[in-house]
Amino acid sequence: MSWFILQVLPYITVTVFTLGILYRLGRWAGARIVHNITLAPFPQNNSQVVGIFATEVIFFRSLFKSDFALWVGAWVMHIALFSVIGGHLMGIYTLGKQFVYIGMSEGLSEAMSSLLGTTFGIVVFFALLYLLFRRMSIQKVKEVTVTSDYLILILLLSIVTAGDIMRLVPSLSMEYAPAKEYVTYLVMLQPIPATAEVLHNVIFVIHLLLVQLLLIIFPFSKLMHILGMFAERWIINRPYTEPAPGLPNVDVPAARAAGLGLPAEGGVE
Amino acid sequence: MASINIAGREVELDEDGFMVNPDDWTEDCAKYFSSGEGISELTEDHWKVIHYLRDYYKQFQIAPMIRKLCKETGCSLKYIYELFPSGPAKGSCKLAGLPKPTGCV
Amino acid sequence: MPTYKDMVQPVRASEAEMRKIHIEPVPDDQKCEKAIQYLDEIRKKYRSFVMAMESCVKCGACAENCHTYLGTKDPRNIPTNRAELIRKIYKRYFTLEGRWFGKLVGAEDISLDVIEEWYSYFYQCSQCRRCAMACPFGIDTCEVTFIGRQILHWLGIVPKLHMGVGAAMEKVGNHTGLPKPGIVDTLEFLSEEIMDEFGVEVNFPVDKPNSDILYIPSSADYLLNPYTLMGAGMYFTYIGANWTIPSTVSEAGNFGLLFDQYFTQRHNVTRLLDAAQNLGIKKIVWGECGHGWRAAKMYIPSLADRPVNWPITHIHDEVAYHIRTNQLKLDPNKVDHPTTLHDPCNYTRACDLQENLRTVIKACVADFREMYPNKERTFCCGGGSAILFDDPEMYQRRIQLSAKKAELVRATGVGKDGNGYLCAPCSICKAQLYPMVEEHELGVEVKGLIDLVGKALVWK
Repeated sequence: MSWFILQVLPYITVTVFTLGILYRLGRWAGARIVHNITLAPFPQNNSQVVGIFATEVIFFRSLFKSDFALWVGAWVMHIALFSVIGGHLMGIYTLGKQFVYIGMSEGLSEAMSSLLGTTFGIVVFFALLYLLFRRMSIQKVKEVTVTSDYLILILLLSIVTAGDIMRLVPSLSMEYAPAKEYVTYLVMLQPIPATAEVLHNVIFVIHLLLVQLLLIIFPFSKLMHILGMFAERWIINRPYTEPAPGLPNVDVPAARAAGLGLPAEGGVE
Repeated sequence: MASINIAGREVELDEDGFMVNPDDWTEDCAKYFSSGEGISELTEDHWKVIHYLRDYYKQFQIAPMIRKLCKETGCSLKYIYELFPSGPAKGSCKLAGLPKPTGCV
Repeated sequence: MPTYKDMVQPVRASEAEMRKIHIEPVPDDQKCEKAIQYLDEIRKKYRSFVMAMESCVKCGACAENCHTYLGTKDPRNIPTNRAELIRKIYKRYFTLEGRWFGKLVGAEDISLDVIEEWYSYFYQCSQCRRCAMACPFGIDTCEVTFIGRQILHWLGIVPKLHMGVGAAMEKVGNHTGLPKPGIVDTLEFLSEEIMDEFGVEVNFPVDKPNSDILYIPSSADYLLNPYTLMGAGMYFTYIGANWTIPSTVSEAGNFGLLFDQYFTQRHNVTRLLDAAQNLGIKKIVWGECGHGWRAAKMYIPSLADRPVNWPITHIHDEVAYHIRTNQLKLDPNKVDHPTTLHDPCNYTRACDLQENLRTVIKACVADFREMYPNKERTFCCGGGSAILFDDPEMYQRRIQLSAKKAELVRATGVGKDGNGYLCAPCSICKAQLYPMVEEHELGVEVKGLIDLVGKALVWK
């Protein structure tokens, strides 16, 4: 079972994930932007458009204004999640020495990687819990929720829980080195030796199984909002050039000098 | 659409109870509609407004501007609302057999 | 009468009336099948619709930002749930997850009940796009209800009000059904009124060849909003413009935007371009109409059947320009009422008109008070997209839909002494607010903005 999850499933996951996203993007690209349906604010040029995209993507500007309580949970969750994902990529690739690039010593970098990873792991967990609690407790949010909305949150929570267990329970922990070794086998299309540590850490196997499940449903779920956000804003936030004001053949001073509108016999108040 | 009998004549009404064919109008129609509009009795002022609307409609195929209706009949808008509780556009036009005004009104 | 399984619904056009606007109503036993067919065609065309179907995460941020939900507390009036009425069908028929997992992901089979739901709830949405501002992704529910209403139209389900407008537009060129003699008579009457009240000589040229400026008023102005037409006439006279009003398309609005963007909306555009060409126009200036200005500014380029050779601006762009360049003499003390401004949704969320509105109103009014939230975060009057239905059930709904606006108007305090002005420079807003300020007892009178310009102009 572990062998299937770690050796076979990843190739299926990557295939489904990639083709699924391409299929979904193709569906979006097939339809056109028919009319100009721009929405406030009204950028005058493309650098302002970039500014709007950036503040929306990085700070969730609209959400900040429309629902602050949700913004707190959503922003913290996304920032922490992206930090965790970034930490996985960099930490595993450099074996925890990613902060050497910004001038730290190797030892400090490893400690930093470990500390940040654990912190963000815990933050994501509580932020997700907050979002789940919100979904179950606020009437209006309950009313917009369908079963899959809960399931996705629960799946994310399970993934994070498995990750946090490996972080927090020393006997179940997983170092960067065996993880990197495992990824290398996968990328090089080589079989994983039966003795590899990853195959014998149950929590790691569960973690990987759930992550792959998430990636498989990703293209067929609302998780595509990560890309959908850009596609939607590409429609509504774009520059528009106004026609210049000023009316043809109008000379107001001349009109006033000629007394247009004033009756010959006077009588204006 | 429905057809009703008003004083022995068949008159066609639309879903909102307005007359489909304004030419079928008689004073009996106004009397018939008045009860549904919460008007107990048609006074001289009611008839003044109704006849003005009909004359204007005959000439221009449209109801007059409300301001003009008030001015020409000498009734303030407030008074018209007293005469026709659902207002000049919907109340008095219905009694006068004009089609229901449409658009942003 | 206009309810279906405890849903309110506007009075609908009869089959004969639908034929007048070129639609052969689909019989009930074919409606579901046809609805899926139309939905399939349309989703392959409009990316804005596809994104609204596929990007929502159901966060619920839109709920408290929708005046319809706030006023009715009906969960199906939460913007994302309103979109869900069509999204559940979209999922079921056009996505893998919907086909495989059905109810789990919120997919549902189409039925006549669903179509009736569309009719009820898409005509309670005023397409104000406030939810798009609130949405973290900018999902535009307005695009969903546009398309829902389009499909309903093709099925033969349209409110009588919208049908009547479409038919009148085709017959005489405006929504109220005003033929040319009626237009001319009303404008002559207004010339007299201006002379009586302001002592100024203003003529309203109709169909005058070789005019420079084509002014497009809202046809509701001819029945309900005399000062809006008077103000425009006074402004054009004051600046000495060579202007005219076309009798063939005396209509700033375009209900096609709201229920039929294929024939009805394009028909109006074609009429406009014909008039501009025939009268030798150099520039088109739009009157006070919110959805109509959006339709003109944003949709004419993509709907025109020929090159559009005339720049199109809004009258308030032009008035603001003349104010900024100090060419108009305005006396704000002539408008002696505490005044607040209701920002029409389409001006501020779709057309970038908010600053010009303020330039104009501040020059015309001594005691101007902002209403918050304003500009692009304005709340709709509750009548947006012409849901101005007046049968008893829908009228009650309109009172609920305007409740949020009433609360905001009250907060400005302009109506405290019963002599306030509520400036609402849009025909739909005016038609909605005239009765609603009475229903909510706000102590204000509803005015257009160009109305106030007319009142404040200093002639010598």
